[in-house]
Amino acid sequence: MEEQVRKLNAEYGFNLSEDEIKEIVRQAEETERFLRPLNEMDLVDVMPILKVEKKVKR
Amino acid sequence: MKPIDIEAMTIANVSRHIRSKKLSPVELTNWFLQRIKRLNPVLNAYVTLTEERACADAKAAEKEISRGRYRGPLHGIPVSIKDNLVTKGIRTTAGSKVLAEWVPDHDATVVERLKKAGAIILGKTNMHEWASGGTTINPYYGTTCNPWDLKRVPGGSSGGSAAAVAASLCLASIGTDNAGSVRNPASFCGTVGLKATHGRVSRFGDVPGTGGFSSDHFGILTKSIRDCTTVLKNIAGYDARDPLSSEYPVPNFSRDIGNTLKGLKFGILKGYFEDKVSGEVKTAIDEAARLLHSLGMKKVEFSISHMDLIPAVQTVTSRVENIVHLMPHMKSRPNDFSRPLLKRLIGSLMIPASSYVTAQRVRRIICEEFEKVFENLDVIVTPTTPITAPTIEECQQGFVEVDGRKIALQPVGISLGTTHTVPFNVTGLPAVSLCCGFSSLGMPIGLQIVGGNFEEGRVFQVAHAYEQAAGWFERRPVM
Repeated sequence: MEEQVRKLNAEYGFNLSEDEIKEIVRQAEETERFLRPLNEMDLVDVMPILKVEKKVKR
Repeated sequence: MKPIDIEAMTIANVSRHIRSKKLSPVELTNWFLQRIKRLNPVLNAYVTLTEERACADAKAAEKEISRGRYRGPLHGIPVSIKDNLVTKGIRTTAGSKVLAEWVPDHDATVVERLKKAGAIILGKTNMHEWASGGTTINPYYGTTCNPWDLKRVPGGSSGGSAAAVAASLCLASIGTDNAGSVRNPASFCGTVGLKATHGRVSRFGDVPGTGGFSSDHFGILTKSIRDCTTVLKNIAGYDARDPLSSEYPVPNFSRDIGNTLKGLKFGILKGYFEDKVSGEVKTAIDEAARLLHSLGMKKVEFSISHMDLIPAVQTVTSRVENIVHLMPHMKSRPNDFSRPLLKRLIGSLMIPASSYVTAQRVRRIICEEFEKVFENLDVIVTPTTPITAPTIEECQQGFVEVDGRKIALQPVGISLGTTHTVPFNVTGLPAVSLCCGFSSLGMPIGLQIVGGNFEEGRVFQVAHAYEQAAGWFERRPVM
């Protein structure tokens, strides 16, 4: 992940300091852990939702 | 001239007088403009005031009404617009430095519809930078203060809109709500704040990068539930320019207002962030539940199996959808983003594409779980925010003290102020916040009432009955 941040830094010209790079990597790793339970779901046959359907309570 | 009480004005009572020509839209607009000039230097609710245009529009409204061409209850009513809705010929910054000089050449559909209804736009309201947070501490346009206590934030990201309504600097404001950005500031400032069902109100004309597609909504801030129904009636409905807008018919939202609540059921969600709710907020919500019960409603407790995944779903959805729009700006003008936001946005680029698709699949499961709940319920009742408005200083430090515990305001994922609003961004369900009491420090507490898809009428029925029975809406900040 650190390599990816360094690459973006060079490509986009963010001028990130070493401390900032480390902070972004740390936060990205925390986010990755936070999102992990999503990948543990059984999603066979589940379509992504794209729009709220026009269903109302009968 | 009789002394006027702007603070007691609502759309409902003002529009009657405008219609009967007892009140002039020009006079009304001038009163509001004078009040803004007096109070905005303290509150910083508006970032752009459109005085000349407002006066001209008010004159035109007056002329039309005097000729018998009254358009309806928004004709001649002074309103404000959050600064991430595009406005033709009016600077639209989205709270960013990048767009500091941008003057769009068209109006958002909602703005177009408000103008068509005869509303008078007083100006654009302050917001969190790119709508990316909930404090309205803005590095470029200053901090908006909470009218109930100037040391505290108004919430956000539509903080300027909520402060403007609470301080009577307009009679209604349009905001946007991607994680609670209308309901959170409504809760902190003691106003009504609604986001309707996803698709009910066109989002054409939002500034890209301030909300995404899936969970963002345009919302309404007013002083009363009845006023909220009036504004929604005028801005709701299909718009071919927004592919996500719904063709579902727009009903008379106030049809059931005043009808008995007897036989209706309200649900209390168990086991979701309960430990984060402050004692004072919990007491106020319990009291509100007792009042709803006394009005004839039955209380039902329920839980949602995958509730714990909602913060993750929202985090992925919102961050990925926003970064898509912000990347070009980050590349061309990285120094025109505040450093904390820039770092967070770079972090968003690390989220894998597969996580985004997974989140949309999990979102469907969660939506279906809520749909099932609504087979047996009319509305859900929750706190809007687990705490009352924190101080500006607490927000800058990142922590707030809740009942003797130090709690992070912005942990990984969603912020503390949006824990109870986010579920209804993820599901798209209609939700309103209204005042249900005050803390020992005199800060408003918000009650959130949520309905089934496209059931805004039911939400308004319950919210209005509560509002009138509880009477909190009559209390105003001393300005």
